[in-house]
Amino acid sequence: MTTAAPSRDAKAGPGAGTPGVPATSGRRIAGALLHDWAAVLSTGFLALVVLMAVCAPLITALTGHGPNDFDAAAIDTNLGGLPRGSLGGVSAEHLFGVEPQNGRDVFARIMYGARVSFLIAISATVLTTLLGVVFGMLAGFYGGWADQVISRVMDFLMAFPSLIFMIAILSSLPSGNRAVLLVVVISVFGWPYLARVVRGQTLTLVNREFVEAARASGASTGALVFKEILPNLRSSLIVMTTLAVPGYIGTEAGLSFLGVGVTPPTPSWGQMIASSVSWYAVDPMYFAIPGLFLFLTVLSLTVLGDRIRAVTDAGEAS
Amino acid sequence: MARYLAGRIAGLVLILFMVCLFTYLIFFKLSPDPAVMICGKTCTPERILQIRTLLGLDQPFFTQFWDFLSGLFAGRDYGSGANLIHCPAPCLGYSFQTSQSVWEMILDRLPVSATVAVGAAVLWLVIGIGAGLLSAVREGTWWDRTTMGLALGGASIPNYVLALALQYVLVVKLQILPFPSAVAFSDGPLLWLQSYLMPWIVLATGYACLYARLTRANVIDTLAENFMRTARSKGLAPVLTMRRHALRPALTPITTIFGMDFAALLGGALITETVFGLNGVGKMAADSIAKNDQPVIMAVTLLAAFFVVVGNVVVDLVYTGLDPRVRIR
Amino acid sequence: MSELLVVEDLTVTFPTTRGLVDVVKDVSFTVGRDETVGIVGESGSGKSMTSLAIMGLLPRGAVTRGSIRLNGVELLGRTDRQMRAIRGEQASMIFQDPLSSLNPYYTVGLQIEEMYRAHRGGSRKAAGKVVAEALAQVGIPEPDRRAGYYPHQFSGGQRQRIMIAMALVCSPALLIADEPTTALDVTVQAQILRLLAGLQKETGTGMVFVTHDLAVISSIAARVLVMCQGEQVEYGTAEQVFSEPRHEYTRMLLESIPRIDDEVVS
Repeated sequence: MTTAAPSRDAKAGPGAGTPGVPATSGRRIAGALLHDWAAVLSTGFLALVVLMAVCAPLITALTGHGPNDFDAAAIDTNLGGLPRGSLGGVSAEHLFGVEPQNGRDVFARIMYGARVSFLIAISATVLTTLLGVVFGMLAGFYGGWADQVISRVMDFLMAFPSLIFMIAILSSLPSGNRAVLLVVVISVFGWPYLARVVRGQTLTLVNREFVEAARASGASTGALVFKEILPNLRSSLIVMTTLAVPGYIGTEAGLSFLGVGVTPPTPSWGQMIASSVSWYAVDPMYFAIPGLFLFLTVLSLTVLGDRIRAVTDAGEAS
Repeated sequence: MARYLAGRIAGLVLILFMVCLFTYLIFFKLSPDPAVMICGKTCTPERILQIRTLLGLDQPFFTQFWDFLSGLFAGRDYGSGANLIHCPAPCLGYSFQTSQSVWEMILDRLPVSATVAVGAAVLWLVIGIGAGLLSAVREGTWWDRTTMGLALGGASIPNYVLALALQYVLVVKLQILPFPSAVAFSDGPLLWLQSYLMPWIVLATGYACLYARLTRANVIDTLAENFMRTARSKGLAPVLTMRRHALRPALTPITTIFGMDFAALLGGALITETVFGLNGVGKMAADSIAKNDQPVIMAVTLLAAFFVVVGNVVVDLVYTGLDPRVRIR
Repeated sequence: MSELLVVEDLTVTFPTTRGLVDVVKDVSFTVGRDETVGIVGESGSGKSMTSLAIMGLLPRGAVTRGSIRLNGVELLGRTDRQMRAIRGEQASMIFQDPLSSLNPYYTVGLQIEEMYRAHRGGSRKAAGKVVAEALAQVGIPEPDRRAGYYPHQFSGGQRQRIMIAMALVCSPALLIADEPTTALDVTVQAQILRLLAGLQKETGTGMVFVTHDLAVISSIAARVLVMCQGEQVEYGTAEQVFSEPRHEYTRMLLESIPRIDDEVVS
């Protein structure tokens, strides 16, 4: 008998000749996204933010204002430390103005804040995806008591008021490395949402003809999982992870906003917004700039995830 | 039915017990000695010992946990003799900060959280489902594209950013609304409405956007169903076709999601309440965390988990009433 | 005998990304009173579009040309409001998959009743009696009680019987059956075919029977229209078409039917 098990089903469309390869290739997704102005704009903005984050030390060396350098000349002590000049001290010297009271450069802090946000969000996404896929597939593939135990644990974690609990844990834990703690805590409460989907899809895949065919032809468990099931989960994983990143950027910023995120003086967008609360009436720019960056970053990632989903859905329907 | 319910309730109790145990364990292990904290700065070692005995902190972990659990159902006594303090049935202990009964604190603040949740829910259901419906019916038009674009945008604004932006525009610049403060309905309906308006809008925005997208997707899927073609082939009036045959199948799944979202909100809208200074359960949670007030943290965690798991069961029961295909065995 | 349904040069055009596509091209046929005409073709041959065009249920964007006359009245170019009075009352339709064609949220009784009342009005109680009669007519046992059941509580064959009861509740002059037996087991298929044939004789309804299955057509239709890629390739009495197919495509279709006298090739 031939080993060419049918990949997916008749839906797979062109390019479905090789076993187990989903119809949605990275190139096809990229091609479709290029024709969508919202997706292009989002990608452009994200590229800019990532570039700013990566080159932050270089750029601050050029401008001469580090994220924690005080600039007494840029603020007016007579006005309670408000930035000099209009719009929160926006000038050629300080592109996005300065913080009230200490005159730290907002531009530099935004760039360094982007590093923190992206690092934490991407690490948390990687960790949740890993946990979600492993536990979801274990539950879906083996069923029985493994499924029972994993499903109960997921129910338990999802019943937890995660925000309250995250804050409570983070505030009572010793300060240590806040970034790592944030990633761990976010992931522990985040993986069940992904695992639930993976479990469901694995359950249906396990009973599909091509998996049964592979099993009947003596494929090992490892081969079944990595060659038959995992490739078929790919498109939904791509969508879920792209949508998880903005979620975690928001969570990190929220926790930092509530004062349990990264510890000062390390800048973070959420923390910047939190410290701007007492100033927003007199220095709205101090609040608007990190707020806008946070909003646009989350929006861009969401738009991108949404469009990728549309493309993969269309790919499956064709 | 009775067996099903019994099973569900057993599962519910088990999960709540686990949440209890887990929370207690973490705060027992992680927190600094509460006795030192209660005692304050001018404190003698004798006084600390006294407080420890009073609260049972000198007991082993499981004894303490058992005392906590039995206090929930049967009440418990602190101290003895003349100093005896009785804490009646749902005993969640006393706040380390204010010495108030935690149960009474919750009863005090729940109405505020409920007001926030109910008002926001009404807003987001009306706006979200309305916009989603219109979008679905006008699929592909400029209205649809604009609404869905706005929905993506609205869902991307972190609620504290929206809260501050709204406050800046409505309170500082336009001065349409007064600075938000905790106002009771008895202080005057208009003032009450004004002070809750911003929290409602802030909380509802994200959900409304989500529900608009969800409604649109569900309605479009339903309109493509074969039974819609049947309904049209029967010569029914379009209004009846839409209302009876499309809306019910499209909106039924949304009740599940709504039930869960609403239940979660009853446990306190932490960020919104904190930003607007509303004395609800959410703000109580934030305050207790900031001050490491363990009995209160424990109570709000438990309360929120309670709403979530009970909400889960209620939603399942309601769903069996709404979808004839789902019947309890 | 005057014809019940006259279709002349019917063309249905769809706008697609590759420009305008004719899914039905110049199709003409007639259906007499209490006559059954079969439309045969593969999926995508345009046979379903032809039946939807008669009902005025084509998807948005479709353009129709030609003429469809029911009882001498032109149907093309009518407003949706005018078509609603015809759908269900003068012409009704049953579909391939009875489970998805019935709304899972409502009892079958209500779904039949709403159609009856949309055209005839009357109280719910009076309509309830009609519903029970209609269900009894298609062989549903205990029709009064079963009217209160939901679609998922019936078997596949019973669901199609319910669809038939619904389609016939207003005694339409024309019934369009679009692959009514395709989704059913072979034994149930035969029962449904017998039921349809019997009811047709009893009520004198004209029927358009759409299928991809020539074997089914031969047992029920007097005249047959064969369609291929939107075009009408053959039209005549069933005997003519089956015994001396003029078109290559019909021959192919006929050959694809497994026959008992075929020699078993090992």
